[in-house]
Amino acid sequence: MKSVVIAGYARSPFAFAGKGELVKVRPDDLLARVVAALVERTGVNPQDIEDVVVGCAFPEGEQGMNVARTVSFLAKLPQTAAATTVNRYCGSSMQAIHQAAGAIQMGAGEVFVCGGIESMSRVPIMGYNPILHPGLRKEYPDAYCSMGMTAENVATRYGIPRAEQEALAAASHAKAAAAQAEGRFSEEMVAIPLPNGGAAERDGCVRPGTTAETLAGLKPAFLADGSVTAGTSSPLTDGAAAVLVATEEYAKANGLPILARIRSIAVAGCAPEVMGLGPIPAAQKALKRAGLSIQDIGVVELNEAFAAQAIACIRDLGIREETLNLDGGAIALGHPLGATGARITGKAAALLKREGQQFALATQCIGGGQGIATILEAV
Amino acid sequence: MDIKRAAVIGAGVMGSGIAAHIANAGIPVVLLDIVPKDAEDRSVVARTAIQKMLKTDPAPFMHPKNAKLVTPGNLEDDLGLLADVDWIIEAIVENPAVKADLYRRIDPVRKAGSVVSSNTSTIPLAHLTEGQSEAFKRDFLITHFFNPPRYMRLLELVTSDATRPDAAAAIADFCDRALGKGVVRCKDTPGFIANRIGTLWIQAAINAAVDLGLTVEEADAVAGRPMGIPKTGVFGLVDLVGLDLMPHIAKSMLATLPEGDAYRATFREHPVITRMIAEGYTGRKGKGGFYRMNKEGGKRVKEAIDLTTGQYRPSDKPRLDSVQTAGKDLRALAEFPDRTGKYARTVLAQTLAYAASLVPEIADDIVAVDEAMRLGYAWKHGPFELIDRLGTDWFAELCRGEGIPVPALVEQAAGRPFYRVEGGRLQHLTTAGEYADVVRPDGVLLLADVKRASRPVFKNASAAIWDIGDGVLCFEFTSKMNALDDQIMAAYGKAMGLIGDGPNGDKGGAWKALVIHNEADNFSVGANLGLAMFAINIALWPQIEEMVDAGQRTYRALKYAPFPVVAAPSGMALGGGCEILLHSDHVQAHAETYMGLVEVGVGLIPGWGGCTEMLVRYAANPKLPKGPMPPVAQAFETISLAKVAKSAAEAKDLLYLRASDGITMNRDRLLADAKARALELAANYTPPEKPSYVLPGPGGRAALELFLEGFRLQGKATPHDMVVCSALAEILTGGDADHTEPVGEDKLLGLERKAFMELIRTPGSIDRIEHMLTTGKPLRN
Repeated sequence: MKSVVIAGYARSPFAFAGKGELVKVRPDDLLARVVAALVERTGVNPQDIEDVVVGCAFPEGEQGMNVARTVSFLAKLPQTAAATTVNRYCGSSMQAIHQAAGAIQMGAGEVFVCGGIESMSRVPIMGYNPILHPGLRKEYPDAYCSMGMTAENVATRYGIPRAEQEALAAASHAKAAAAQAEGRFSEEMVAIPLPNGGAAERDGCVRPGTTAETLAGLKPAFLADGSVTAGTSSPLTDGAAAVLVATEEYAKANGLPILARIRSIAVAGCAPEVMGLGPIPAAQKALKRAGLSIQDIGVVELNEAFAAQAIACIRDLGIREETLNLDGGAIALGHPLGATGARITGKAAALLKREGQQFALATQCIGGGQGIATILEAV
Repeated sequence: MDIKRAAVIGAGVMGSGIAAHIANAGIPVVLLDIVPKDAEDRSVVARTAIQKMLKTDPAPFMHPKNAKLVTPGNLEDDLGLLADVDWIIEAIVENPAVKADLYRRIDPVRKAGSVVSSNTSTIPLAHLTEGQSEAFKRDFLITHFFNPPRYMRLLELVTSDATRPDAAAAIADFCDRALGKGVVRCKDTPGFIANRIGTLWIQAAINAAVDLGLTVEEADAVAGRPMGIPKTGVFGLVDLVGLDLMPHIAKSMLATLPEGDAYRATFREHPVITRMIAEGYTGRKGKGGFYRMNKEGGKRVKEAIDLTTGQYRPSDKPRLDSVQTAGKDLRALAEFPDRTGKYARTVLAQTLAYAASLVPEIADDIVAVDEAMRLGYAWKHGPFELIDRLGTDWFAELCRGEGIPVPALVEQAAGRPFYRVEGGRLQHLTTAGEYADVVRPDGVLLLADVKRASRPVFKNASAAIWDIGDGVLCFEFTSKMNALDDQIMAAYGKAMGLIGDGPNGDKGGAWKALVIHNEADNFSVGANLGLAMFAINIALWPQIEEMVDAGQRTYRALKYAPFPVVAAPSGMALGGGCEILLHSDHVQAHAETYMGLVEVGVGLIPGWGGCTEMLVRYAANPKLPKGPMPPVAQAFETISLAKVAKSAAEAKDLLYLRASDGITMNRDRLLADAKARALELAANYTPPEKPSYVLPGPGGRAALELFLEGFRLQGKATPHDMVVCSALAEILTGGDADHTEPVGEDKLLGLERKAFMELIRTPGSIDRIEHMLTTGKPLRN
């Protein structure tokens, strides 16, 4: 096995879809800025880039046309760097990293740009032309279970009271607000020029001062008598993220800023109506492949699609609170579907270094009933 | 002169409302107010007023985007903005000294030749211009708007001898055409026309209720609808305006009215009302008024004040023998031998005698007075029209009986009516005692005038067809509430037979275009549901199907007719009334047109081509992404939520109106505008081509049903909503269509018919129809 490392991580600010700062920014432009900054910050020789692998959950419209190639052109990468767009819904850009790591293991390249993008303002969730399989919907309606309902199902199955969900959401905002106040995002952040002449420089979804009490006043968002609210769900978000994936050998030879080594990866399927449980089998597989237990993991980036599913994963995986989402999770920061995987993997790698820990886990759930996980280790 | 930019000074309710309405006309307007002490944002007053208006219901703006045309500013930093405007409207506090000071400040900065007007309701013009420059006097007049400025059609215009006639003409023309107002020229007298008469009327109605021991409900039941006054009556109106305003108006009137004016004798303070004001019961804006909604204990109970004790008690809807017996006969109401009849006599005698005594003091003729009361107080008939309904002789007798001097105009009428129709023309009695034509402003064409002057080309129980000249026919609904039925469909058929071939079947005949228009409050609120319910009750399914089919055939025939069809709606155009507009070549809509496909509210879907037409519009909308779903999803959203546009401008957003459709601000100009457009189209007319539709079929339907399921789980869609909206989804996605094979409209119309016939047999839809017929509100089952 080759040693594959994360040698750089950058992202755009995340902003509310429809009303945030990035509404008027095209997703390809958004990611191109991040990729260009990543290349510049890491000092990688662009001529060495084998492939640009971009995850996107709804790759159509401005995210269509193999957006990875568009991004490469816009980021002024050399023509010799290839480009591919991958889709595993919310797991798309973690899949991009896995794909690069797999290619490296096959000897099919030494350095890859792996990114993710989603403008939920400009390409709606479910896309412009949602046309389902009518027979499948009839025979197996859970195949199309809405995301909100999967969270309700998990809350019911695991007996997760609303107050517990709200406590997690409030904690997520508190951690993100503290990180923001202390400038802990500055290293990963790439300022995005705006059409009006300004620039987006800060995350827009964090609401400092959010408490469990303020969240308690919200109405259920998906089920009339349910427990999941907008406040305990990740918001619709615009954002982009990218990491540099390389062989350790190449990274060291070229003086790249190594953050972490990829120790193991996994994906797993689960029932679509409880898709939020996907991280449980995925993380368990990845841990097993790494020969580790959850007790060994000092940094966890668990995507908070919904507080309910995050809590279920925390319970079943035995994640320790002090390791979890140290700078806040998706409920506070936002969840631009295709970009989240690159964010949490890059973030886990950066945190591993910052916190001086040995192992990190990045994992997330995926619509349709899947999970994806990556285990990182210090170099 | 053209009004290209305007300014309003004073961002109170009236000033900001006027600014919003000028913006509704597409004219940029500056809104200025004072700088509050220590304000960080020095234009905060105007800015807040604009923000507040975006949340006000009924909306001052016809479209939220109009708010961008209003520039907020303040009187200390932004007077310079006045240098660019053609018309400055002052709407500040009713204090002559404060106004005079403001005028002196704006006079030097304003553009030469710009017009300045005051929205004062009480201060005489002569007083306002005292001590101002000669140029200012030449450019000054009073423009008195009514609240709310968007909706109340009256604009009282007062000029002085010094006012430039061209300035007055320019403002009158702008208010008429661009703002849609009925401009009534008034003399420079206290309260002008509408408030002068209205103030006495309110006082007289309150006095009589107290004196005769009527409850507020009884008083309003007599003085409301039976007299052609909005159902709020007098007490409901005062609640709306604010009880606390009454003493101010009275004070101002008493300070300025001539000695011996009848109002002086009528004015009276009622201890109950004085106490209500003191305790904050100032009407709807306060803790309550003559009526209030008591929400204590979680229930909503309508209550009314007892005029004797001043205590609230549960309100009731009185059933009065007088009102029941009299029906539409106003004289019978006034002759009814009980205290409510006496009430009608007293209020009518005092109010109408007062109005009749004020011409020519307040206006040159009776026409202006009637117009002002109709447009400013929403009376169905003006005072002189009411006297005609009673009979001038009878009214003179009434005055004598009530101990009121018979007004000179009534004496002079000597039994003749104030209005008559002579040679097909409406005439009014002048102050000289002669009849003269009622003159309409240039470019105004009223169907009422056509109807007076001619006989219908065709008429049946529910529709009439009129020749409005130059080869254009006007199709008028005449059914109750303009509900659509088979007679209307038959009349359309008749109209199509008349146009093109002429009345005698000779080619190149007399008529070449059709305008669909009527002058009722509402264009049409859709198909006759009562008739449908009757057919359902005796299971006349084939007849119902034929009704759907006939509607589709007729609307298609109109759409593809070899002549242009222009529709000119005002007020509500719902359901089938909206669908006819969707099939017209051009819609010339009054700005206050409220369109909507609301069929799902009664458990049905638009079955006369409404779904089909909306799909065409959304498919042609370049703003939507490509692919088979976006037009379908948009049409589904609009129809399933029964969206009703709250203005013609909003109807363009929803695509009920096309970008090419026209909007007329002044309702009186609507028919003329529509006719002109019809003639333009007739000059070189080719019917539209039949569209084809690329539709997603069952996969798209599955996606829409997924969204629906989400709404059901959220508790936003009821069980029967699911049934109705699934049927709608099937139509809009094209049934078994496949997006590789475009389908024609016949297939979609077939799907509409099928869905309609399936739904109308479901108990859930029948319950909805019954509920609507009995309560007027949609059932959420």
